[in-house]
Amino acid sequence: MVVKQETKSMTGNDAASYAALFAKPEVIAAYPITPQTTIVENLSRFVDEGKLEAEFIIVESEHSALAACMGAAWSGVRTFTATSSQGLLYMSENVFWTGYGRLPIIMPVVNRCLAPGWNIWPDFQDSMAFRDAGWIQMYTKNNQEVFDTTLQAFKISESKDIALPSMPCLDGFVISHTTGQVDLPDPEDAFEFIGPYDDPIIELDVENPWAYGSMTGPDQYSKNRRDLMVAMERAKKKIVDVHKEFEERFGRSYGNGLVEPYGDDEADLTLVTLGTIGDEAHEAIDRLKVEGHSVNALRVRTFRPFPVEDIVEFAKKNHKLVVIDRAASFGHEGPLRIEVEAVLKRHNVDTSVSGKIMGLGGEDVPYSAIIDLAKKELKE
Amino acid sequence: MAIVLPKVSVKDLQEWSKLGEVFTSGHRLCAGCGAGAMARQVTLAAKALGDPYMFVNATGCLEVASTVYPYTAWDAPWLHNAFENAAATASGAIEAMKSMQRKGLMSERNVNMIVFAGDGGTYDIGLQSLSGAVERGHDFLYVCYSNGAYMNTGIQRSGGTPQGAATTTSPPGTVIPGKIEWQKPLAEIMAAHDIPTFTASPAYPRDLMAKVQAGLKHDGPAFMLVDSPCNLGQRYAPDISMEIAKLAVKTCFFPLFYTYKEEWVLTGISARLAKNPDRKLPIEDFLKPQGRFRHLFKPEWKKKLIEIQDTVDDKWERLVTKATCV
Repeated sequence: MVVKQETKSMTGNDAASYAALFAKPEVIAAYPITPQTTIVENLSRFVDEGKLEAEFIIVESEHSALAACMGAAWSGVRTFTATSSQGLLYMSENVFWTGYGRLPIIMPVVNRCLAPGWNIWPDFQDSMAFRDAGWIQMYTKNNQEVFDTTLQAFKISESKDIALPSMPCLDGFVISHTTGQVDLPDPEDAFEFIGPYDDPIIELDVENPWAYGSMTGPDQYSKNRRDLMVAMERAKKKIVDVHKEFEERFGRSYGNGLVEPYGDDEADLTLVTLGTIGDEAHEAIDRLKVEGHSVNALRVRTFRPFPVEDIVEFAKKNHKLVVIDRAASFGHEGPLRIEVEAVLKRHNVDTSVSGKIMGLGGEDVPYSAIIDLAKKELKE
Repeated sequence: MAIVLPKVSVKDLQEWSKLGEVFTSGHRLCAGCGAGAMARQVTLAAKALGDPYMFVNATGCLEVASTVYPYTAWDAPWLHNAFENAAATASGAIEAMKSMQRKGLMSERNVNMIVFAGDGGTYDIGLQSLSGAVERGHDFLYVCYSNGAYMNTGIQRSGGTPQGAATTTSPPGTVIPGKIEWQKPLAEIMAAHDIPTFTASPAYPRDLMAKVQAGLKHDGPAFMLVDSPCNLGQRYAPDISMEIAKLAVKTCFFPLFYTYKEEWVLTGISARLAKNPDRKLPIEDFLKPQGRFRHLFKPEWKKKLIEIQDTVDDKWERLVTKATCV
């Protein structure tokens, strides 16, 4: 049965903050950076008003923000932070250490492009740089999904069979600072969904001490990394399961949690997207349909682990994919396109793939631009 | 509250030695390494207080040599999280313990947090993280064991390398005789945060252990700078490490003191030297036995030796002027 929820209007950053509030993390450590700042401000207010009983460490840098979260996560408590862009880059050493160290830290990344030029607008260059850091990465399309994904992330990451950090990604400003509708459950219902973190993956115990971060030789090191790869594979099923459980309780879903298709099962052209461009593509597809064009879409919600099977299955039913990337791998193509092409090749799917990099540094990607792209691709 | 150093007697040391080591045998520090002696003294002093303890260790010699997977030399929880973030990592663990105790998930008792980091991890790359954690007021003792260079990566100069010392990135050339600059005044920088700040030497265990206990008893952050001799990097025979450490103190190159809120107190040998200035040894006594300073004794660098002596004298005089003695 779907629980009672209240419709509110709030920004994407508010939505992330409410998810954190309802999850009741014991330790938060954070540092402000545009456009993530209002998340830190919201949480500071929740703590100071007594709404959230957490230790809030207002650190002197992003590097220390994640380091403090790591110290807390090793100690065995629920831990939350958030960052963006240059801040994410500054903490990068710890980002990898967190992933490879299997610490279940939840860190929304409010996507913002990287300098130079100095620019606070969105693209995915920041989080894409951490594709290989051992974090679950989920890209959201709107404010509601930010709340839902952040809440789900706790349940996924803190599972003992997963033990991976999560990075819910939200487009800077387009989501983070834009007010939209968000249905909020009662805090108790939200907390009950993820449950308390009372049987931690790792915990500090002075009676039963461990050493963590040891010198590790090649045999054990490579085993650890292979374990991480297996955990990522397991995470695919976990994401689907948690997403399904979430749907049963809260009545909302995003495809199967890994990918979200839109439109007809089969179409002349398929738009493959990430983030808010995925939402904008819906409008484009509806308008194209009115004009008699057959276009559908597949929004990749979970980028890590990469939903290989879902993409292959969808591509098999379709004829031509055009992948819209909001980041570039310089010297190659957009990262999503590279991966989609590789997956199809490996699975002998001969659906053709092309791509376009759009929306860098906050370049606007309205549905009209997507319509133009689709028409051009349909002609070719 | 002023700092009160507990009196540590030889009898205390005998009793504490029966408690069992916290930094146990089997670690892979070099023969003659001062860090091993330092770690044993710090941890035993902590154990003697009775409360449980845990450690965060920055990347460095002590870290790589003490926990080669699947072994650990530490009979206590021990965390290593990179080079520059030991203090930040400790803040997270301290706050996590607080929250666990508040929620009844952990018994309400004091757990002493001790952070170990070398001079590279403290003077240089970790200073921001340390300063931030101290400003936030987490309750921990940060022990910087300075061996005067990045010894773990093979002797590169750090902000804690003494003037004139040869390292692989400040080699003694015909134009430049080793490191040009004096060390960063780390103890003074930390003291300026208005926290108890101690200097200590493993050659004087009772002084060191008394300071560890005073630092841990203090409610809030405390900082300790330990002179940690390194026979490989400072280039002398491994059996004279403690002699070298003593000479650093006796030449007033590394004075033993503590300071808190403008009160400066010389301790041990340094207090005695302040009262009996004629017993202060010339800096050459400290420099000469160490290969890293050998080039300074060539005739062309005589001026450099005088300069170093002048700087040591000047710093010592300024310290004596503002300090009392115990």
